[in-house]
Amino acid sequence: MKYFYLFVVLVSVLFVSCKRDNNRVVVYTSVDQVFSEPVLKEFEKETGIKVEALYDTEEAKSTGVLNRIIAEKDNPRCDVFWSGDPVRVIVLKNRGLTQPYLSPEAKDIPEVFKDSSHYWTGFSARARVIIYNKKLLNGSDVPTSVFDFTKEKYKGKVAIANPLFGTTTFHIAALFTVLGNEKAMQYLNDLKRNDVIITTSNGDVKNKVLKGEAACGLTDTDDAFEAVKESNDVAYLFPDQYNGFGCLIMPNAVCLINGSPNTVNGKKLIDFLLSRKVEKMLAKSCAQMPLHKGVQVPKGIPQLDNIIPMKVDYNKAAGKLEKIQKTLKKWVEQL
Amino acid sequence: METSAINLENIFYGYGKTEVIKDLTLTINKNETTCILGSSGSGKTTLLRIISGLEIIRKGTVMINGKKVAENGKNLVSPDKRGLGFIFQDLALWPHFTVYKNIAFGLKVRKEKDVEEKVNGIAEVFGLTAQLKKYPSQLSGGQKQLVAIARSLVLQPEILLMDEPLANLDVKIKHGILEHIVRLKSDFNLTVVYVTHDHREAFSIADQVVVINNGRVEESGTVEQIKNSNNDYVKFFLEY
Amino acid sequence: MGGTTLKYGGLKLIFLLFAVFALLPVLYTYLTALNGFESPGVLFSYQSFVLLFKSLIISFFVASLSTFFGIIFGFFLYKTQIKYALFFKVGFLLPLLISPYILAVSWSDTVFLLRGTGEPVSPVVLTVLVLTFIYTPLSVLIVGNAFSNIDTSLEESGLLMTSPYKVVFKIVLPLVKPAILASFILVFIFSVSEYSVPSYYGVKVITTEIFTRFSAFYNHSDAIMQSSVLLVVSVLLLVAEGKYLSDAPFLSVGSKGDVRKRYYFDKIKRVALTFITFWFLLTVVIPLIILIFQSLKNGMPDLWKAVELLRNTVITSLEVSFAGALLIFVTGFAAAYYVVYAKGGKRIKKLFNVTMLFLFALPSTVLGISFIVFYNRPVFDLIYSGMAIVVIGYWAKFSFISFKILENSMKQIPVSFDEAAIIEGVPAYKRIFNILTPLILPAVFAAFIFAFIFSFGELGTTITVHPPGTGLLPVKVFTVMANASQSLTSSMVLLEFSVSLILVVVLYLFYVILSEKYGNIRNKP
Repeated sequence: MKYFYLFVVLVSVLFVSCKRDNNRVVVYTSVDQVFSEPVLKEFEKETGIKVEALYDTEEAKSTGVLNRIIAEKDNPRCDVFWSGDPVRVIVLKNRGLTQPYLSPEAKDIPEVFKDSSHYWTGFSARARVIIYNKKLLNGSDVPTSVFDFTKEKYKGKVAIANPLFGTTTFHIAALFTVLGNEKAMQYLNDLKRNDVIITTSNGDVKNKVLKGEAACGLTDTDDAFEAVKESNDVAYLFPDQYNGFGCLIMPNAVCLINGSPNTVNGKKLIDFLLSRKVEKMLAKSCAQMPLHKGVQVPKGIPQLDNIIPMKVDYNKAAGKLEKIQKTLKKWVEQL
Repeated sequence: METSAINLENIFYGYGKTEVIKDLTLTINKNETTCILGSSGSGKTTLLRIISGLEIIRKGTVMINGKKVAENGKNLVSPDKRGLGFIFQDLALWPHFTVYKNIAFGLKVRKEKDVEEKVNGIAEVFGLTAQLKKYPSQLSGGQKQLVAIARSLVLQPEILLMDEPLANLDVKIKHGILEHIVRLKSDFNLTVVYVTHDHREAFSIADQVVVINNGRVEESGTVEQIKNSNNDYVKFFLEY
Repeated sequence: MGGTTLKYGGLKLIFLLFAVFALLPVLYTYLTALNGFESPGVLFSYQSFVLLFKSLIISFFVASLSTFFGIIFGFFLYKTQIKYALFFKVGFLLPLLISPYILAVSWSDTVFLLRGTGEPVSPVVLTVLVLTFIYTPLSVLIVGNAFSNIDTSLEESGLLMTSPYKVVFKIVLPLVKPAILASFILVFIFSVSEYSVPSYYGVKVITTEIFTRFSAFYNHSDAIMQSSVLLVVSVLLLVAEGKYLSDAPFLSVGSKGDVRKRYYFDKIKRVALTFITFWFLLTVVIPLIILIFQSLKNGMPDLWKAVELLRNTVITSLEVSFAGALLIFVTGFAAAYYVVYAKGGKRIKKLFNVTMLFLFALPSTVLGISFIVFYNRPVFDLIYSGMAIVVIGYWAKFSFISFKILENSMKQIPVSFDEAAIIEGVPAYKRIFNILTPLILPAVFAAFIFAFIFSFGELGTTITVHPPGTGLLPVKVFTVMANASQSLTSSMVLLEFSVSLILVVVLYLFYVILSEKYGNIRNKP
């Protein structure tokens, strides 16, 4: 049968041979490719270890990589998971999918940004900032606290990303941890009453403010930084600096996957990611604040020392997150 | 020498729960023109398709020239090896082939020699020489008809099955072609099985007429016998 | 080499392979999910029903509108003497080359430009509109193709008796019923399983719900089980289609190759042309202009940067989607051939139909996760750690489209063409290659090109299953896009679009050469 031959050919097309480098490391990352790729390339250059990376984006809510690690749990493929925030590594930790590793490079990083049993370690941090459109808001009209968003004058003008996902979900969880359930829920309901605009992602908050579809909103420093580069009409500020509440700091977090196939190289990559060099690179490329003391950063990049951080235990907040997800989902659905 | 070309014995055919042919037995004589006459839905086309092997019978036997070709749910001889030609109601001329290629295709597939000679020869017989390079859509109805017949006969079948091939032609051309068929029958030594719902058409060419109704043979015989039949259905059928 | 009567063994083998590689992983995952199913309540909750209902309503509107426009434009473009018909025929297809997500973004920009900060358009309406814009080309192609295959004599006999308008409504439209249904079903499923557009506009439907279960709750079992309602929807659709068509044999109506009948609706021709031009401007020109304008906003550098970023991914993407398209096409063809030509085997035919439709309707994330769960084991290492997993993903997802296009077209070719060849002793493969294929060449071309284009642009499954360390075009665009400036994003999209366009043009040229070779009468004066 002619088909049969044709099909044999097709099936062999399927099994395209794959070259396999033995000196390699597989990393999944939810940090946007523009920023993570140069770092990983640098690691390749420095160590000669081939990096096989799987990128995902904040926009995709990291469904790709995180769910993939979960789906692959019976036969792990990934060595290192580099997350843009601590929540996702904690999700993995709680499911027993990570293994502890204490990197020598983690020594100088403040305790608050590390897991006490070394399942994950934080580095370069972003902050949650208020981004606003200068054409629509100026002077005293600019909100300086996340609690301003519930005021009448911002009715229908504030954009936040869907609180079920990404850094926004963590932000809300942090609020629940710090404020307590009741007050935090009240805050959410006040937001709702004030016709808050829910977008699909932080990047979308940025776009809405850029275009003036929203006057202000909550987003991450990297998005805000990008927006400022793109247009003169927008600016950002760190919220709650005058009331002592503080602004949420979100470090990157890295962990070693349980049963990782290239553990040795995985540890090397983690050491590299936690180095000052990488913090410097990320400060330059996406305005992330180094957690090591004394890393030189370009001008205009905020520094951790100058910001009053929100006092929050990341493991607790992540635990809180899993508890409030269902409530959040309801909240979103009732908008 | 055997005198029957086709023997159908106790044929049952249907699909799902529908029985189209019920216990039909019929003999078709060699070198004669047999007309199968029936209204639409009587099963007459199905009968042709059973003879040709395009449909598989549930029960019974089909014999061609004394050889068993199909039996109880199985085709023993495939359609192309039964030595027959089939003129479809819609003629089934391949629209993307020229007349030449339509006629030549079967010969080439069968790896016969002198394809060109044979095609030209048959085209001459049917007066199609000037049309060989044309596509079916460029022909008149009568010409299409002739191409379909030429395409079958070039493969030298012993039996020609025709399924209401003249349904769409005007009376004058129809008569021309009917005469042609009668001539062909003797020239090519053919057994013709001709399906129609038009008894006038049948009577003008048939040696034997078989009236079919509801998947059964109502009556068969010569033209005269059918004309004088006492069968109620036959009488009713001939009236309209 | 096989007799004249096809045993269909080859066809069944192809389908068996499809079932093993594409369907089995999904079934396996369903079984596993059933085990870990934590909250069966989600399936039967009021909330689920509301979402499902919303999904169905939106899809129903999208499918109806697309098919409606498909009939109108298909008729004007393929059946009347309208000016620039060829230009529009090709131009209409362009939106298919741009991913739905991009169009959603571009449309929200447009709407914002047009309406400013005023009363916002309802997100549901916007979703329906954008999806309609995206899928109408598919309908135009399917229905238009069917229009051009109608046997002229059927129309002419009608024209002798009554006005052209009546002929259109009483004869022509009923004759293309299968195509209308095919268009409706395809678009319906596309819309039901589409995630990016409703998600972008914040419309909650069943796919966004499934996505939330994955990405906010990391609950695979619930997400997968929730997607099973789509299986139910698929089966219901097929039952409905079956009821409506009830396997009517009258469908073999066209004797193709006859010169097409064209109507001279002089009175409405101008209206038609205006309408078509308007549609073209609205759905093709405006989004394209916005894209081009945005990508050149900062001059050429961003365009070069986009080239730089995507250069390495283009070839791999082409290879992978080509392999996928081949498998899709062969499977679609085999299934269509079996369904149209094999006698009996009703159950097998239904099985083919349901299998392909189900995989097509499955949300990409669920398909991707199923593949990971199934293929991520040492035995399948060859598949899982290479591009094969992506190819199989495309194969699973898009076979139904090829199948539907080909089936629909094959049904229009009289069976007697094949039977006449059987009587002459033409072997099966020659009947397929020399008789059937040339007659349905436009559909063959369409089936392949859709398989190619959809595979080339597929994001959801690709991003879930592609091996680490590899770059595929849509994934790269998507991952870079997240933090890129608008002009870079637009540049990348424009590049992706251009590559697809070149692809279509190359395939089209190939088609023209082929149809010349076959001497298809339709291309002769």
